[in-house]
Amino acid sequence: MSAKLWMGFILRRLGASTAVVLILSFGIFGLLYIAPGSIVLTLLGTRPASRQTIAAVRAEYHLNEPFFLQYLHWLDNAVHGNLGTSIQSGGRVLPSIAARFPLTLEVVLYGSIIAVGAGIPLGIWAALRRGRGTDQVITAGAVAAVGAPSFAVGLLLLLVFAVDFNWFPVYGTGQGFFSTIWHLTLPALALGLASMGLIVRFTRAAMARELSQDYIVFAQARGLSRMQVTSYALRNSLVPVLTASGLILTSTLSATVMVETTFALPGLGTLLVNSVTFKDVPVVQAVALLLTLLITVINLLVDVTYALADPRILFTRQGE
Amino acid sequence: MSVAEVSVLRSSEARQARWPAPLVVVSLIIVVLGFTSAIFSSVIVPNAEQQNLLLGIQQPGWHHLLGTDELGRDVLSLLIAGSRTSVLGPLVIAIGSMVIGNIVGLLSGYFGGWVDSLAMRWVDVMFSLPALLVAIVVTGIAGSSYAVALIVLIVLFSPGDARVVRGAVLDQRHRPYIEAARLSNLSSKRIMTLHLWPNIAPIALANGFLDFAFALVSLASLSFLGLGVGPGSPDWGRTLSNNMGLLQSNAWAAAAPGIAIILMAAAMNVLGDWVYERLEARGLAQ
Amino acid sequence: MTLLQVRHLAVRLRERTLVSDIDLDLASGESLALVGESGSGKSITARAILGILPPGLQASGKVMIDDILVDGKPELTRPLRGSVAAMLMQDPFTMLNPLRRIGPQLADSLPRAARRGEASRRDIAARLEEVGLEPAVAKRFPFQLSGGMRQRAALAASLMRNPKLFIADEPTTALDVTTQREVLRLIGRLKQERGMGFLLITHDLRVAFSVCDAVVVFYAGRIVEAGSAEKIRASSEHPYTQALLAAEPPVTGRAHVLHAVAGSVPRHDDVLNECAFAGRCQWATDACRSGSPVLREIRPGHFSACLLAGDLSARHVQFPQTGPSEAIERSVSQPVLRIEELSKTYRGTRTAAVSAVSLTVGQGEAVGVVGSSGSGKTTLARCVVGLESPSTGKITLVDSDVTSWTRLDAARRRELRRLVQMVFQDPYSSLNPARTIGATLREVLSAMGQPSDSKNVNDLLDLVQLPPSYALRRPTTLSGGERQRVAIARALAGRPSLLVCDEPVSALDVSVQAQILGLLNRLRAELDMSLLFIAHDLAVVRQVCDYVYVMQSGEVVESGLTAAILTDPRHGYTKALIASVPRDDRSWLDG
Repeated sequence: MSAKLWMGFILRRLGASTAVVLILSFGIFGLLYIAPGSIVLTLLGTRPASRQTIAAVRAEYHLNEPFFLQYLHWLDNAVHGNLGTSIQSGGRVLPSIAARFPLTLEVVLYGSIIAVGAGIPLGIWAALRRGRGTDQVITAGAVAAVGAPSFAVGLLLLLVFAVDFNWFPVYGTGQGFFSTIWHLTLPALALGLASMGLIVRFTRAAMARELSQDYIVFAQARGLSRMQVTSYALRNSLVPVLTASGLILTSTLSATVMVETTFALPGLGTLLVNSVTFKDVPVVQAVALLLTLLITVINLLVDVTYALADPRILFTRQGE
Repeated sequence: MSVAEVSVLRSSEARQARWPAPLVVVSLIIVVLGFTSAIFSSVIVPNAEQQNLLLGIQQPGWHHLLGTDELGRDVLSLLIAGSRTSVLGPLVIAIGSMVIGNIVGLLSGYFGGWVDSLAMRWVDVMFSLPALLVAIVVTGIAGSSYAVALIVLIVLFSPGDARVVRGAVLDQRHRPYIEAARLSNLSSKRIMTLHLWPNIAPIALANGFLDFAFALVSLASLSFLGLGVGPGSPDWGRTLSNNMGLLQSNAWAAAAPGIAIILMAAAMNVLGDWVYERLEARGLAQ
Repeated sequence: MTLLQVRHLAVRLRERTLVSDIDLDLASGESLALVGESGSGKSITARAILGILPPGLQASGKVMIDDILVDGKPELTRPLRGSVAAMLMQDPFTMLNPLRRIGPQLADSLPRAARRGEASRRDIAARLEEVGLEPAVAKRFPFQLSGGMRQRAALAASLMRNPKLFIADEPTTALDVTTQREVLRLIGRLKQERGMGFLLITHDLRVAFSVCDAVVVFYAGRIVEAGSAEKIRASSEHPYTQALLAAEPPVTGRAHVLHAVAGSVPRHDDVLNECAFAGRCQWATDACRSGSPVLREIRPGHFSACLLAGDLSARHVQFPQTGPSEAIERSVSQPVLRIEELSKTYRGTRTAAVSAVSLTVGQGEAVGVVGSSGSGKTTLARCVVGLESPSTGKITLVDSDVTSWTRLDAARRRELRRLVQMVFQDPYSSLNPARTIGATLREVLSAMGQPSDSKNVNDLLDLVQLPPSYALRRPTTLSGGERQRVAIARALAGRPSLLVCDEPVSALDVSVQAQILGLLNRLRAELDMSLLFIAHDLAVVRQVCDYVYVMQSGEVVESGLTAAILTDPRHGYTKALIASVPRDDRSWLDG
């Protein structure tokens, strides 16, 4: 497809994404104002509230200026890498996030690989055997998985595999590659299970829908082999499935919070929960901003992948 | 903000399962049990929270079918008591989300124009956010209260309903029977409520069931983290979190609420599919 | 050499039988048409032969393709598909893989070794040329091609392995009326050049006569008549075939009476122990209802399943007789509708959908607007009723300016809505499936300011010849023709002065079409109502309209009295439209 079409498409998407990030960042900034009680006290946290400390806080957070200017200050700092100071620990936010980020990333990736790697083949299998026993079992399993919250699943996994069978360690993250994988398997499974259920259902539906289309019958009528026909359906249904996978990635990010808490992993998720409970607003804002960026980037990549697979999209205006 | 089909989680396509009758019946039983215990919990187990410190933790036995927790409370009774917040909360969220979502979807799909653009921008922005994270952050910072959690989740779930309903409306809007209704001097309100909505009801209602299932999980997740319900509440998520340390002594104390959550969500899922199938079979518009 | 031999083919869906007792013979180089209305079982038969029935359907009986016994079993037919027998399906818009370029799709039919490389590219280019497409098409996606081009590409794809038996399922139904003739010609030429045996499935007897040597007529899942095209055309021996022929609107004149057969095609299992057509046949005797008649040879090579075959020739009128019931001059004193220089360009497009069209409809007059898809006729109709608003121009309804319906105040709009109403093309989505007929009609009556009691509802139903009991039924229990009648009844609730009909019969079977056309004519006379009749079929228009406007690409290219225009067309496009109406012999395709 022509480069110009692509350019236009990507620019439109980038523009839209940037707009969303800005809107959301505004909302994230506004979090400070929804905390009950006075902002200054929230920002002081456990420090004593004397006239000096209050004045220091007011100055540091530009509280005397209008709301919008405060937002701009905050945004400016964020863009330059200054994500503020944690109320709880007093340390700078960025390093603590950076320290925890890799672990979260590992678990999320591991979980997504499990979800996609097992989910798509299962969904395809169910579609090829649709209506029969295999399909019913797979779909039932998928429904149960979708409804199962990751922390409940995590707990059950812990119970069965770590406590009863003792195959996996109960806590800890492990050193080194293989040890890490072993330690992170249960959390990744817990994380991936719900997503896997969604992917199975979606893949099955997409595949089954393609298999019932006219072009499949025509392909059969003119003598294409079974492999060819299946690959027609497969390739055409992977488009919606890829999209689904990309979007499931974003919901996996939220499930991560739950799983990390269940398995006591020191990642971004537990950081978020702790700072929320403690009302450590700067940390919350920083983590939220990071996640928003991450999600927006993922959505953008999903769109590009979608356009690569289905060129018709390039010709339509967004989302119609 | 995605070109692609964002309503993955709510796609009616993902719903084409034909469940065997026994499974539907089992799901119905589970749901009825859940709602009954939720509504009548104060009657069934009035003393659920009664502690018996002398008893301490007990494994399941005749007196306590699921054992007791560290405070000597009967696990089964707590489970029933907790169903009130765990089951009625999602109901409120599902209904609230459906009401807002259906209204927005109908107006947006039927009138188009700037109403539609505005609504869709709102939906796109909301869809960029993972609902649970937003719920955690907002509930946490705004002072965790059950009401706040419910409101936040309603706000976060309604874009999903709006999008599904809007899609269904767009599907029907250009069909001759709607155009004929417009030509017959019928008011927009009448067309939307009496002509359009009955024909999109299958999708809208089935989606409501899905909403319930997700709301159940979200609310339980919040209470697991200590947000949403108060500290002493027997809410399932909360109980699970509290009893995680008891895995060795009485695993049921933590496993029971977990299983309850999974079963209830799955059952609503199955029922949602069944409702869709039944309504569609009545010959409502394809 | 028998290319195809079918004996006692039956297709079942669980306990229901869809077709039974099908016998067919086709030799190499011959062409056979399977003719029938929707639901008659012709498509199912073809798919059963090739072993590609939809899931859940079972075929039984003997099928031999090229002397190989396959019996419709998928595992036996698979090796033959493409190389010995191939099928072209009905809808070019869904037949091709939407996400694959044309070239690779064609190459997929070839054995793996031959799929890539220069030789295969040349082969594909040659194939595309054979069907009238340029080699550049190989690089395009289906959505970048028009319907006619897609059909040609699909044709090339199905012929890639040079099959001996070619089956085409309604190859032109989904196409523009002017493209139909070209595609049929192309298929005819290819059939000749390649010496293929050809099985054509169609609902149009005239097309069957002009393309094929032999014809088999299907009704309710059974064969009711079979024989050579000439014999059947000259003297058909089954009342149903005669009814089909009699119901075809002639383009040569207006029929005195378009022979309409009441009712609709029944399902196979509903007419088991009697002649399938007995319920609708005007000559049915008790014998016809007491057992299922067998297909027997009336004359050499001419079979019929009618007990009265051989005696029928004297009893009927083969083709509708036409006569001078058409207007020969026009005087429009008080126009009910006047359109002046109307143009409409949709937002975001460059070409105008409608361009400077002027048109009038007189009191009690029926005016036709004819053109193929894209001509702008539907847009025009929608502007008249207010479903679209014109970019420029003026529309006057009786005395009021309705150019912009949205700018009228609500009360005025309500009044004016009583003057003009619309009947739509698709009867299956014209009625709200969630409401009973009675509820729909009552609602419309009260919205039009009429009392909505059951007497009025029954009166409306009576106008369109439906019994009062229909008020309690839901649309899904009605046939297409019945639904269209209800749609007409709804439109008449306010006794409009002008009824705009947008292709009201295009989606209906021929025998039902005749009913609706007759109904519209009668209503026009009874209610002194004007009609604006939009269609693509000139023959249909001729049965209803005295005056016609021909549109192409948004403009009116010719207009005049129907009879005059059809006997002496001036504009090239009008001539093309007339030529595209199937005549019932070979000359149609050759000419």
